[in-house]
Amino acid sequence: MRNQLNERVAISGVGCTHFGNLMETPEIKDMSLQELTAAAVKEALDDAGLSGQDVDAVFAGNAMVHSSQLPATYSQISKWTGTQFKAGVHFEAQCSTTNVGLAMAATAIAAGVYDTVLVFGVETTRTKVKDYSPYEREPISHQQSWLWTDMAVNQAYGVPQGYDIFSSYNGLVALGYCRKHGISIEDFDRGMFEVCRTRRLHGSMNPKANIQETLEEAAKRKGISDAFEYWQSENNPFVAWPSRLLSLVTTADGASAIVLTRADAARDGRSQPVEVKGFGINATDLPWYGEDPTMWESDKRAVESAMDMATIKATDIDYLHTHDCSHISGLCTAELIGYLDPGTALTAARDGRLRFDGDKPMSTHGGRHAFGHAWAASAGSDTYEAVLQMRGKAGKRQMPKPPEVSVIHTHGYAMIGTVIVLGGM
Amino acid sequence: MQAMSEKPNKIRWYYEGLSKGVFRASKCGDCGKFTFPPTGCCEYCGSWNVENAELSGKGTLLFATHSGSAASHPRFEKAAPFVYGHIRLDEGPIAQAIIQGVGTSPEDLKALYEKGPVPVQAVTLQMDDLPVIAFNIQD
Ligand SMILES: [Zn+2]
Repeated sequence: MRNQLNERVAISGVGCTHFGNLMETPEIKDMSLQELTAAAVKEALDDAGLSGQDVDAVFAGNAMVHSSQLPATYSQISKWTGTQFKAGVHFEAQCSTTNVGLAMAATAIAAGVYDTVLVFGVETTRTKVKDYSPYEREPISHQQSWLWTDMAVNQAYGVPQGYDIFSSYNGLVALGYCRKHGISIEDFDRGMFEVCRTRRLHGSMNPKANIQETLEEAAKRKGISDAFEYWQSENNPFVAWPSRLLSLVTTADGASAIVLTRADAARDGRSQPVEVKGFGINATDLPWYGEDPTMWESDKRAVESAMDMATIKATDIDYLHTHDCSHISGLCTAELIGYLDPGTALTAARDGRLRFDGDKPMSTHGGRHAFGHAWAASAGSDTYEAVLQMRGKAGKRQMPKPPEVSVIHTHGYAMIGTVIVLGGM
Repeated sequence: MQAMSEKPNKIRWYYEGLSKGVFRASKCGDCGKFTFPPTGCCEYCGSWNVENAELSGKGTLLFATHSGSAASHPRFEKAAPFVYGHIRLDEGPIAQAIIQGVGTSPEDLKALYEKGPVPVQAVTLQMDDLPVIAFNIQD
């Protein structure tokens, strides 16, 4: 493949809602899915200085149609976003959805077909349509949520025979990592605590995050003065030894949106544009890795494609987000990319290097654990954060020096490795 | 190569094999590798030139952890939590499956981890509605 964009493409606007629960979280409580989507889209269009009628096409992402019950999403949302009479498609790449949409939009723009494309993702993983009501929602049970989510995982042999996300994504990867690098289980536990503490710190500085409570505050709430003692207590059980509950994703309802346009047109927009320098997408099925649980071939190939298209090296990356449904998996990806040296991620976390103000900042919005995870909307939330950081508009969690080059990696369950490279114009 | 109309449903064929304690795969006529569990083509080189094959069920358990205490799927409600492992089969494929012969406690799993890779043998675990593959640790 030629692996190049024939014209320069930019992100001219981004939007993202608060991630939370449509039945509980004050900022989004009682919103309909149509309104939730429109909130993200309006923010992105306003950011770009455009209306819905200024876009040429709408790529609408929604993965779990069981809870949203909005197939043909681009059509059903069009009158809520001012985008009717445009080209459109409903698509999904699970948790990579919004950034795969970004790549499809960049492809269409660079090919000269469209000038401006709106991409959005909307997802509800906490609530679903109640009975046949057009506006009432009800909670999704734990098992129902996994049954629906795992429909994106090998339905012939994996799921029917006991596939377990916590094992495949966390425990086995953790053991592979410890064995490969000679790290003790005790040091692993301490390192994972520090990763979680960092992500929670980032979440506490992000007014849109699902969890804005630091680990220290959570410990205090439970009457424990030492946060590491809290980490090792019954409040944080092993979900797949040696991985614990607080190293995992937290589910959320949410929406995100991105406006992409020809780079020359983006300069006339309302906000500072960010260039799409490259992307890579690579899919596989279970098992996601061979003998070495820390090396995922689909990620390796997606990273290589993206960095080749963008003509960057790992040392050029100023800000990185890797998919962190599982914190240990996200760290393995950061090492695979070359952002961190092999076997050093846990030490880097303990030394504070992964913080927003560290020298290897990662997931400054709080990642899947603290910012939360709304499947098809999440990659858009990662891009939203990267754009804010690059513009110097990330508030309390702003990196001291706004990044010039940002890389965002996501896993579309299961498994679509997706990497995008953003750069200053 | 069989005509399309003569091909059985590969998924049903696999589970029917399991119910008899047979571990069915497909073998590539071009690159020689096994696709396990079987599909209609070679997962490595993409060739359609594949034949039905059986695996020994012998392998090496590389790592083992445990599932969540509440099963993600109703089929495994009674079995959870169970030990779940990462296995290299003697014929080459990597598999992940339920492991029998070790407890789910951190102490048991840590002892197994420190021991390093151990030999395992595939067996059939009969659930209420479906036979599934599991691996027994060979002492
Ligand atoms: Zn082959």
